[in-house]
Amino acid sequence: MKKILIIEDDLLISSLVQFRLKKDGYDTHLVQDGNEGVKAIDTLNPDLIITDVMMPFRSGIEIIHHAKKHQPDTPIIVLSSLGEEEQVVLEAFNLGVSDFIPKPFNPNELAIRVKRILQ
Amino acid sequence: MRTFLLLTFLSLLTISWTRLEAQESIIPQDSTDFGDFLVLQDQVPGLSFRWQIKDKSLPESLLLDSLFLFAKTDSGYISQPMEHFAQLHEMSSRFGLDSLNVGLSYRVYSEEVSWQGAREYLANLVRNGDYQPIYEVKDVSEDLVVLAKKTPYSPFLKFKILFISDYKLFIVTAVIIFFFVVSIVMIIFMIILKVKKSKREQHKKEYENLIIDPLTSLLFEKELDEISVMKASDFHAYFPAELLQKVLFKEVLIQKIIGLNKKMKGEFKGKLKTIYQKLDLDKMSIQSLKSGKWYKITQGLVEINEMDLVEALTEVKGHANSDNFHVRSQAVATLLNLSEKVDLNFLKDQTFPLSEWQQMNYLRIIKFVSNVKPLKLEVLFESSNQSIRVFGIKLVRMLGRLDLLVNLANISEEVGLEEQIEILETYETLGAHMEVGFINRCLSSENEELAFAAAKAAFSLGDENSVKLIYSRLAKDQLSFKLKKQLLKTLHALDISKFDQATIGASDPISGQIRAHILDPLLSHV
Repeated sequence: MKKILIIEDDLLISSLVQFRLKKDGYDTHLVQDGNEGVKAIDTLNPDLIITDVMMPFRSGIEIIHHAKKHQPDTPIIVLSSLGEEEQVVLEAFNLGVSDFIPKPFNPNELAIRVKRILQ
Repeated sequence: MRTFLLLTFLSLLTISWTRLEAQESIIPQDSTDFGDFLVLQDQVPGLSFRWQIKDKSLPESLLLDSLFLFAKTDSGYISQPMEHFAQLHEMSSRFGLDSLNVGLSYRVYSEEVSWQGAREYLANLVRNGDYQPIYEVKDVSEDLVVLAKKTPYSPFLKFKILFISDYKLFIVTAVIIFFFVVSIVMIIFMIILKVKKSKREQHKKEYENLIIDPLTSLLFEKELDEISVMKASDFHAYFPAELLQKVLFKEVLIQKIIGLNKKMKGEFKGKLKTIYQKLDLDKMSIQSLKSGKWYKITQGLVEINEMDLVEALTEVKGHANSDNFHVRSQAVATLLNLSEKVDLNFLKDQTFPLSEWQQMNYLRIIKFVSNVKPLKLEVLFESSNQSIRVFGIKLVRMLGRLDLLVNLANISEEVGLEEQIEILETYETLGAHMEVGFINRCLSSENEELAFAAAKAAFSLGDENSVKLIYSRLAKDQLSFKLKKQLLKTLHALDISKFDQATIGASDPISGQIRAHILDPLLSHV
């Protein structure tokens, strides 16, 4: 079973994403801030990371930096609002993220993208 | 410190002096009482007395008395000096003085003095503190103060309670008590509020946790059609009925659904709206529009806007002209967002002037709405509110509505200065060459701001008439630097030879400087 780490501070959004991905048979793990995200990357060794950009303690960009340094082969999907973080999104792509999904988003669309990346 | 000590000393001195004065005054002023006073004292240092009898002979018993020891003198007999004044009455009590010519003489040490001299001597001793006189012990039963104490006392005061009668003390005490009472009440009130708030926050967290799972299940397990036909009782399987009766739970549910609605798209948006309506949360949002508190109304408007509750448009319209800035702004934003046919009449009828912030906010919505709905911007030109008319003209420019240039031309001669400036800017932006006549009329305006806007518009839209007007204006009028610079820039763009004529050899040195600036390729865009 593929392990997916979801790093998102909005509990409702992360629960929705978790619920949808569990339906597709993934082993999902949920953390709510940047610090926990970094720890989870080191301990869980996930197959895919889904992260928000604006989060407490550590931003999504710091998490991407950490992931690319310690687990360079793990694909990352950034889930964030495009309007407010255009520069950040460009930076994320430069760091080598696999995909970017702007909010508002459709969880079904996210599930399809996850499936495609993990295949 | 020294001053304090001196003052203390002086005060003590004054007090002791007053005391001594008081003691001195008790020495009797007449000879008989003075004698009685001395009897009471018995002995006074340095003061003595002698009996003098001016008779030729004395009774033998008196003559031989060992206490008096009378001695014969030329004028009669004289006793030995006696220091115990208590013996003053011995003479009369033992021998009787009626048949004798008896006199009393006082002595201060060995010198004979009158009774006044003796009194003065005694007073001096008392004054200097060398002698402490003995007071006559009176029967206490005759003391006036003691007698007064025995009589029932009723104070001659306005109120029966002494404390209330002293109104100053009463007021000060009342103020202090009031202060303490208010402080205590406030502290209690704050504690109650804090407890209530923390309880509310605790409940909110609990409710948030209770909402997440059922809402997620509803969104993924049910299709939109299924949710649409669900009854209120069907929702109780997800959200317990007793929780749905609680206002706080409903408020948290509204927040969560709206939060999710902002971040979701596709069929999820539709599902969320249906859930919102099925749980009667829309009624709660509409109800909050009737609140007396502006922040509740604004919150309600935000909810209606976010959840696209078109059925609430009538209630929203009622707030479009509200006295409150936030309510008004949100109501207009909601109307712009939700109105199917955006005729903008509600905006036209606004009586309050539009702020820059409101204009930016409305522009953002109108820009979005104009892509999907036809907008009748021209109604804004008919508004009695100048700021709305100006905003309407700005919208023509921002949205690039070339079809409305005719409408602008129709109103351009009648409107005020601010609108005319906006129209000129719009003509310039949209390249309205056919309106050069209006631009030229504005070039001759006495108003510098209007003439400046016209000169700017003429830069790209001017013709030969514009050149003539600018040239003559430069030659005749005293102009501000700003207007002169713009006129010369426009003239340079329209006719370079006229520009040379106007600037080369001009008596005004500023014209030469502006010419140098315009012709300098490095400064051409500065």
